[in-house]
Amino acid sequence: MRSAIEGPDATRRTLLKSAAIGLFAFQLGGVDAMLSPAEARRRGARLKILSPAEAAQLEAFGDALVPGARKAGIAHYVDANLARPHSQSLLTARYLDVLPPHDAFYKTGLAALDGAAAAAFGKPFAKGTAAQTNPLIAAMLPGQITPWAGPPAPLFYLAVRSDAADLVYGTRAAFEQLNVPYMAHIEPPSDW
Amino acid sequence: MTGKAASSTDAVIVGAGAAGNLFAAHLAEAGKSVLVLEPGPAWTTGDLYSSLIWSRRLRWGGPAVESTGGHAFGAGFNNGWGIGGAALHHYGTWPRLMPSDFTMKSDHGKGLDWPLGYDDLRPYYDRIQEEVGVSGDAEAEVWRPAGAPYPLPPLQQFAQARLLSRGFTALGMKTAPSPMAILSQDYKGRPACVYDGWCDAGCPIGALANPLVTYHPRAVKACAKFVTGAHVTRVLPGRNPHEAAGVEYVDASGETRTALAKVVIMAASTIGNPAILLNSAADGWSGGAGNSSGLAGRYFMTHSIAAIYGFFDGEETENYLGVTGAQATNMDHYPKTALGGGAFGSLQWQLAPTMKPNDLLGVAMARADLFGPALTKFMDRAVHHLAVMFGFGEGLPVAENRVELSGRTGPGGGRTPRVVHTFAPESVKLWERAAELGLKVIKAGGASEPWANPMANAHMMGGTIMGRDPKSSVTDSYGRSHDIANLFIAGPGLYPTAGAMNPNFTNHALALRSAEHLLAHWPA
Ligand SMILES: Cc1cc2nc3c(=O)[nH]c(=O)nc-3n(C[C@H](O)[C@H](O)[C@H](O)COP(=O)(O)OP(=O)(O)OC[C@H]3O[C@@H](n4cnc5c(N)ncnc54)[C@H](O)[C@@H]3O)c2cc1C
Ligand code: SF4
Repeated sequence: MRSAIEGPDATRRTLLKSAAIGLFAFQLGGVDAMLSPAEARRRGARLKILSPAEAAQLEAFGDALVPGARKAGIAHYVDANLARPHSQSLLTARYLDVLPPHDAFYKTGLAALDGAAAAAFGKPFAKGTAAQTNPLIAAMLPGQITPWAGPPAPLFYLAVRSDAADLVYGTRAAFEQLNVPYMAHIEPPSDW
Repeated sequence: MTGKAASSTDAVIVGAGAAGNLFAAHLAEAGKSVLVLEPGPAWTTGDLYSSLIWSRRLRWGGPAVESTGGHAFGAGFNNGWGIGGAALHHYGTWPRLMPSDFTMKSDHGKGLDWPLGYDDLRPYYDRIQEEVGVSGDAEAEVWRPAGAPYPLPPLQQFAQARLLSRGFTALGMKTAPSPMAILSQDYKGRPACVYDGWCDAGCPIGALANPLVTYHPRAVKACAKFVTGAHVTRVLPGRNPHEAAGVEYVDASGETRTALAKVVIMAASTIGNPAILLNSAADGWSGGAGNSSGLAGRYFMTHSIAAIYGFFDGEETENYLGVTGAQATNMDHYPKTALGGGAFGSLQWQLAPTMKPNDLLGVAMARADLFGPALTKFMDRAVHHLAVMFGFGEGLPVAENRVELSGRTGPGGGRTPRVVHTFAPESVKLWERAAELGLKVIKAGGASEPWANPMANAHMMGGTIMGRDPKSSVTDSYGRSHDIANLFIAGPGLYPTAGAMNPNFTNHALALRSAEHLLAHWPA
């Protein structure tokens, strides 16, 4: 029986190392550096599209959806992709038929979430407790969150949840944590 | 404004996906000069990183397609981009259509008939499966229409397939290994599959028949010229309304160019083809090129998906092993009225696709409603004990379902496409009945807590349908425009009915038939 971690026929696999052309460029102290989103967050890399308040809110929302997304750098990941040409974006929004520009999608979605939070418990979403934010989140997919002045709430929920799931479940490290063999033909450029 | 003119070629092919590469290989090998225009990048197998995050680069990256209607179509998910098109990251599930798919109108008074029958296409299916390598067990597929056995034995099955098959057996239904354009053994210089389930990100070793390892190398070897970054905006009229002079395109630098050719072949996908035709209005082409019927863009079709999940807690389902497409199939309810209860259309089951933890078809999306600690708990269990099967349901052809032009402009000032789609009531019933049946099956196999997800859709057919009558179809059975003698259309957009089968095998068989017909009747 093959080991679960190695997967079948690991010896036959073509283990090619791809060129690191796909790493994200983040600005650290005015200098561009190629970093993973988690590292960019840890080192306080400058955001290009999201404001610090939007980033904090996206971290809070992402982490509430998929625990671990904040530390994995969801805000830096989304920000770096929004700064790329649309055809190079890796965001799920790209194939959820969200019409570009996607920065407007994220910004208006986050603003709508803050609006709903203010109406529900009088504070920004990021300052709410789990007991306060969970009912709001649960109302998003069925489209029952009110007030909501932004992109369709189910779409925004699915897009951010998928971004968070990409970072928390979609990397080699995450596969290993889940005891799922990664079995790459070609290693992706960065291990988020 | 039209800028620099290119010199004339024998054929200009619009789009370097599945159909475009097949046409390019066959025409170039016959000695024709061939120019292929493709808006996306010149992918190589080295770009196919094993990551569902990075795989999104392979999706459509051109001007956004709007999607609307009662059951909006997933345009972003279903469109490819760059050499290989959607076929670069398609899953290689390759069943043939059934004879009944070609005669729906005659048999049931619903939908449309094809201008050709299964027997006309059968030799091309047989030749294509031999050329690209299809694995399967023809005898076990008791539903399979007449045809040569597969050149390769079936792919290996893992626990998920065995567990799901149990339910079918318990209810007296059959399963067979899925017919796959994936190599179970080394074949014609390409290696066998190693069952890591990365097909959705593209198979860089070439076990799966994507164009980069099938027809593209043949086309390049035969000197077909591929230009990437070239977005075709319209077909150019020739000396009279029955002739095309070539196409106009916007190149990578944003410059508008002209490619003149004796023959124009549109292989820009089910959405791209009608969008270009509709953008090509000119003197004598008032509703667009090849659109005297008014049907360019009409009868857009997709398959509904009944996604059925269940847990097998005592078992390791190995849902991360195998291939993204499927390991086993059941087609007991393929006959158009088999499900009853107001449902109409064919149904096929594809069992046990590989699930990676993330992405739209991944484990986390299996319960999109879960979040927070509940999701973490679900993931720990599901990555080792979840199983899934998909019921593909036929969408009836409905003229109102269409590709049309939106109010937004794209490259060269052309208008971008919008897809309007709502399933017919019988097709909705088909999905409902399929979901009920799927839940019964998975329960009978011993799964706990089974559930069916909300309706999804996949595959795109129609929009440039073929037929015998120029008033009620866009092309003849070879994809040749009824209006414009040197304009051919290729791809599943030609299908007058969708069947319930994944479309790419039929797409290849039709393209081979058309390419050979074109070569035998080359315009003077
Ligand atoms: C995720 C996924 C999984 C799939 N799995 C299966 C499967 O298992 N089995 C199966 O049978 N089918 C499957 N399919 C469907 C299959 O890939 C398609 O049916 C097939 O690729 C269609 O071939 P095509 O040549 O019409 O289009 P494509 O292969 O998509 O090629 C069209 C090309 O045209 C180009 N183009 C678009 N617009 C323009 C323009 N304006 N100018 C120039 N070029 C343009 C595109 O960039 C693209 O490269 C799958 C599809 C997807 C997306
Ligand atoms: S599972 Fe097989 S076909 Fe799919 S990517 Fe891996 S080797 Fe290729």
